[in-house]
Amino acid sequence: MTTHETEEDFLPSGDDRSLVLTDTLRDVAVVTVIAIPLQLIATDLSLLQVLAGMLALYVVCVIGLLLTTFLPFYLPSVAWISLVGIALTMPFMPWAEWFVGLVSGIDFLALAVPCLAYAGLAISSLELSVMRRSGWKILVVAVLVFVGTYVGSAAIADLVLRVTS
Amino acid sequence: MDTVKTLARAWPIHLVVLVVGIVSQLIGVRSIPIGIGTILLLPLLFAFVFTLLLNPHVVPPMGRLIRPRLAAAASPLIVVAIMPFIAKFGTTIGPSIEEIIRSGPALLLQELGNLGTIALAFPVAIWVFRMGRESIGAAHSIAREPNIAIIADRYGLRSAEGTGVMGVYVMGTLFGTFVFAIVASVLATAEVFSIEALAMACGVGSGSMMAACSGALAEAVPGSTDSIVALAGASNLLTYATGMYVSLFVALPLVEWMYRKIRPDDPGNRRPAETQEATS
Repeated sequence: MTTHETEEDFLPSGDDRSLVLTDTLRDVAVVTVIAIPLQLIATDLSLLQVLAGMLALYVVCVIGLLLTTFLPFYLPSVAWISLVGIALTMPFMPWAEWFVGLVSGIDFLALAVPCLAYAGLAISSLELSVMRRSGWKILVVAVLVFVGTYVGSAAIADLVLRVTS
Repeated sequence: MDTVKTLARAWPIHLVVLVVGIVSQLIGVRSIPIGIGTILLLPLLFAFVFTLLLNPHVVPPMGRLIRPRLAAAASPLIVVAIMPFIAKFGTTIGPSIEEIIRSGPALLLQELGNLGTIALAFPVAIWVFRMGRESIGAAHSIAREPNIAIIADRYGLRSAEGTGVMGVYVMGTLFGTFVFAIVASVLATAEVFSIEALAMACGVGSGSMMAACSGALAEAVPGSTDSIVALAGASNLLTYATGMYVSLFVALPLVEWMYRKIRPDDPGNRRPAETQEATS
């Protein structure tokens, strides 16, 4: 169980090789089940369509997690899952149309809701003490960091898109 | 089996997430018009605020509902819960692969937009708040896990630089999704940058920041949801691959150099210089 006792072991979730595969597969399954009612609220899909879509996404996660565990070089599991999702849905794949049909109706915004719910519960007393110690100045700097990064990236992307298209 | 036992222990957490998720989703997307654009409040933001209020560390009386030790079990579940979401993003990138490749140069170069933080946040930290070497850790990057690892490796987390990066990390965990949702929805409705550029920029941070950001864009410009999701997802994937290197080889040396120019007399400047000499 992760309780952040000191700041030295406060290096969360960056390296996920330590996750036990069976536990992770079980937890992804639980999260997938939680997502079902949320999808029913967010979309016009039938229960069967939601079940099929979520099962398809679960399969993508499972393949990604297996690759993370068993391939000799390390990439974060989310990167593998993303790559598996891309590989399965490339236009030239024989099953691409069928697979995209399964998942295209799934609402991506509703999929992010459980994640943020866990995040709210996971805020620990250590994080609150870091916040109190750093104070409002770090908050202002942090907001400027986010705005600066976002606007910086958007400005470069916009410029390059204008030049190249 | 052990797997079943730990699930049995964590069930109150999953139950809270299920109930909070349903309530948040029922509230749906709420928009607040402001002068220059519209702020969109998304279900994921509601979910975060609700569980924050149920968190015994934040609101101690909640300890009767959820024991503090149990709340700690939610921490590893964050990365697990983002997985189906990331999978969905992948399946949106695949079909749009041609558009992604056409946008390749823009996607690659916008990774350098990370340096925008140095232009905006670093001067404020240095000259407005008179911060010391904390400003190096705080302003060199968006302070997600890979960036913390770099700072921890070079300076240690108990150093001034470590305090800076941890401060921004925690603020990002607490407020990052809100900042991204607000900035993205305002910029999308203000129509300064193209929606494709805004979508690419959504990928610069963590998965939940990307979710809030691309969600806000998709709500603001409903017709291009697939394109927004594909570009944001591709950019985020690229950030996993390149973000750490931009931070390590460009951003951190740059802020370190700037700091030495601005504050040549800071005694803290010496230590990393010595270790650099020792390693080169």
